[in-house]
Amino acid sequence: MSFRSCIITTLALGAAATALAKPVEITLPPDPTRLAESSLPGYNQATTFCYTCHSADYAKMQPTSSRTYWQATVTKMQKVFGAPIPDDAVAPIVDYLVKTYGSERAAPTSRGDMTPAKSPTKSGEGKR
Amino acid sequence: MNRRGFIRSSAWLAAGSALSGAVARSLGATVNLPFENGERELIAYPQKRPLLRLTARPVQLETPFSVFNEGVITPNDAFFVRYHLADHPTKVDPDTFRLRVRGKVATPLELSLDELKRLAPPVDLVAVNQCSGNSRGHFTPRVNGGQLSHGAMGNARWTGVPLKAVLEKAGVAKEAKQVSFDGLDKGVLDTTPDYLKALDIDHALDGEVMLAWGMNGADLPMLNGYPLRLVVPGYYGTYWVKHVYDINVLDSIFTGFWMASAYRTPDTPGHAIAPGTAPKKTEPIQRFTVRSFITSLNEGSTVPLGRDTVVRGIAFDSGQGIREVAFSSDGGRSWRIADLGQDMGRYSFREWRIAFKPAQRGAHTLMARALNRLGESQPLEPLWNPAGYLRNVVEPIHVEAV
Repeated sequence: MSFRSCIITTLALGAAATALAKPVEITLPPDPTRLAESSLPGYNQATTFCYTCHSADYAKMQPTSSRTYWQATVTKMQKVFGAPIPDDAVAPIVDYLVKTYGSERAAPTSRGDMTPAKSPTKSGEGKR
Repeated sequence: MNRRGFIRSSAWLAAGSALSGAVARSLGATVNLPFENGERELIAYPQKRPLLRLTARPVQLETPFSVFNEGVITPNDAFFVRYHLADHPTKVDPDTFRLRVRGKVATPLELSLDELKRLAPPVDLVAVNQCSGNSRGHFTPRVNGGQLSHGAMGNARWTGVPLKAVLEKAGVAKEAKQVSFDGLDKGVLDTTPDYLKALDIDHALDGEVMLAWGMNGADLPMLNGYPLRLVVPGYYGTYWVKHVYDINVLDSIFTGFWMASAYRTPDTPGHAIAPGTAPKKTEPIQRFTVRSFITSLNEGSTVPLGRDTVVRGIAFDSGQGIREVAFSSDGGRSWRIADLGQDMGRYSFREWRIAFKPAQRGAHTLMARALNRLGESQPLEPLWNPAGYLRNVVEPIHVEAV
């Protein structure tokens, strides 16, 4: 290849690359997840403050967890991740989460859209 | 047990028997991972095939385990997705995108993608990316966090320039200690700590850490960090900052939340502590542990009695390279050495194969156990840490000879 044709090829490739560079855009599907409805006072506050930053599956996927865990988690959202949760809303949100998704949840039949835990209990599960 | 409970349990066991060590047959559009609250929808996101949705916002997607039996390279449309903060980019203009290099450098840089691509000869590297919490859902006792099975890993051919070339172009100052990396993703609220990670300066200059725009011969998918991400071979995915646009050379140790508080492991041998306890001291998570998986058979698979079945799988480590993979078909009482497949580099998945001819009808417990060139291997009993990181116990599966 001559020097000149080499330059032309390079310029052509450069031009092609430039011409191909269009903004890349994707459209994400909507977030279909919802926290389980509840008459507990913390339900509305949980939907307000949790949804601001993340979908409901963050809570739903957790293994059965203690009040200590949910208290620490809501406090972390408030203090570390900067969620504007008023101090007097922390307790009801924790209460809703532990009674809906955690170790204080009612029997499966009374839990709205919650599905029963499906896995056989392994050693260690349910101890938290 | 009442009758209803019995039926439920049977349904679970039936579903469980179809699960691989990892995943799962799909029931319509869902998969049941083999742990509590393990139901996941299979959803096709843009540029992706249907993957297991861990969370919708921010997007977190797990690769169905069957993909790892399709080949040693994980296709871009099947590669897992892990974001921390929900304001992650969905539109990027490659013409106006700029990479900044600043801080303790002689000449701060602001590079377009074209300029970056011409800055040094491009390099190719096949490397595994794995989430720190891959397999967290299998921990006993369970730990909180993203409840993943084994699908938050993937192996790709990355194309980019060495980070070293970019840093040398800027001229790193003598007092440099660490380099921090910021991507375009951020929290919904300004009060949420932005996702930045840091590497020690020697690591950043090792010539292997890469700024990659290419993945398996194509541009990065948006959800894997388009147009540019950090590739940190052998290190957990937490360091592989996506959509990276800001590189800051520091004369101090970076103290951001995602280094100083998150992604830390106990400072103990094996980074393990007694299950259910808290660590006294922690350090930033670092390299992958050694892992191997059987991919060609699943939990509950049937194999023909008295005939050879070729069992296939993958193994990888943090970059020493896999020396051998041992296979057991009797629950670990005896082991045979498998044949290794093509060597695609020491950071890649390494395929392995071995013939298995069951002499007895009924259940057989199969195991794979990899050994790397340093002599590191996999424990037969799991190690435990409170964040659910680094899992690398031998993962048995049970098959039926018929």
